Amino acid sequence: MKPETDARDSQPDGYPDWYYELLARTMGEAKAEWARLPRREREAELTLLHRSFDTPDDLSVWPAELDGGADRP
Amino acid sequence: MQTPLEFLAVFRHELRAAGIPFAITSGMACIRYGLQQTTKDSDWIIAAAELLKLRGLFERCERRLPPWVVQYRPIFGAPFEAAWLDGGWSSHIFIRTMGGGPDHHLDFFCHPPRTAAWRHDPEEPDFADRDTVTRMKKTDRDKDWPIVGGLAAQAFARGDQSAVLHLRDASTLRRAWSMTPAAVRPRAITARPLLESIDAGSEDLRLEFLLRAERLVWEAVNRHRYAVYQDAWKAWYRRWQAAADWPWPVSEPFVAQHERIVAAAHDHELPMKPLTDRVRKDVYAKGLADAAILANIEPERLQAIAPPIEEVLP
Repeated sequence: MKPETDARDSQPDGYPDWYYELLARTMGEAKAEWARLPRREREAELTLLHRSFDTPDDLSVWPAELDGGADRP
Repeated sequence: MQTPLEFLAVFRHELRAAGIPFAITSGMACIRYGLQQTTKDSDWIIAAAELLKLRGLFERCERRLPPWVVQYRPIFGAPFEAAWLDGGWSSHIFIRTMGGGPDHHLDFFCHPPRTAAWRHDPEEPDFADRDTVTRMKKTDRDKDWPIVGGLAAQAFARGDQSAVLHLRDASTLRRAWSMTPAAVRPRAITARPLLESIDAGSEDLRLEFLLRAERLVWEAVNRHRYAVYQDAWKAWYRRWQAAADWPWPVSEPFVAQHERIVAAAHDHELPMKPLTDRVRKDVYAKGLADAAILANIEPERLQAIAPPIEEVLP
């Protein structure tokens, strides 16, 4: 299957600075910097992470409505 | 190895080709919208009327070469049937598209929690819109709340007036509220009574306190809500496994698994809609009582800023 192309994928989302500053305050500098990237680069970074590391998942054995979630052990 | 984002693209394509309308929500939608999540699983909203078609797609995927493995997960929520999914349950499966894995986890909803009516994003129709995702993220997990604030901030930056229903940052909320037309305000206050305290001249610290108390309401109500489903599922599972002469999980074609689970759900009475109207009101009242204790605020004062039951448990 060919990847879908969208002109927006190669451009930053272009939110105002206050938005990225808010992200830095609430989610951390690294995630705010990631958010400034064009979507294609963001997703490429995540794909590299997924390929390289066994990153944690949202789900525990129990699904959400049954007490699931890594933050709700 | 097929990564979660690659699988997402493949499964979107399969659903479109099968003519099944869908919306991707939760973590994968956040990634699409530029809010980083470490999630690998995907959450999908599908209309109950499409479930039969979706089960047919699973069967076809199992028969192709190379075959996919499609299986209910050991703890699977409820069967892929409208009777349960219309009652607020979700269904949980994994799909393996190639030998050696990985197993991709998928959760399906017909009525996502905390959303009265979900919508597709107008610019990204394969995804639920920001309002829908924001409502789903008002859980009792700490990590979800920066996402709520981030999505609401995006909505505000994009000129969406509904942002005032979800913004978490006091100064941004104050700015958004000052730009909200008078004609829109009464309905916004009904949905989010805390907004009235801005009109009443609350200082930033006071507003911050109220925002935290409001979040405690969402969290406490959600804890009681999922306990209803959790208790129902565990009780049913014990009844089922005590009577069954075969162990769950079984590895067999999806359709066979589905038939077993539907029969067990009927025979051992997995409640189709555990959140009855009486239970719903009880859950809301318990959540408010818990939040008042946690926020150290009198219940009457909390009531004045608490989101109404129609918002928290629509």
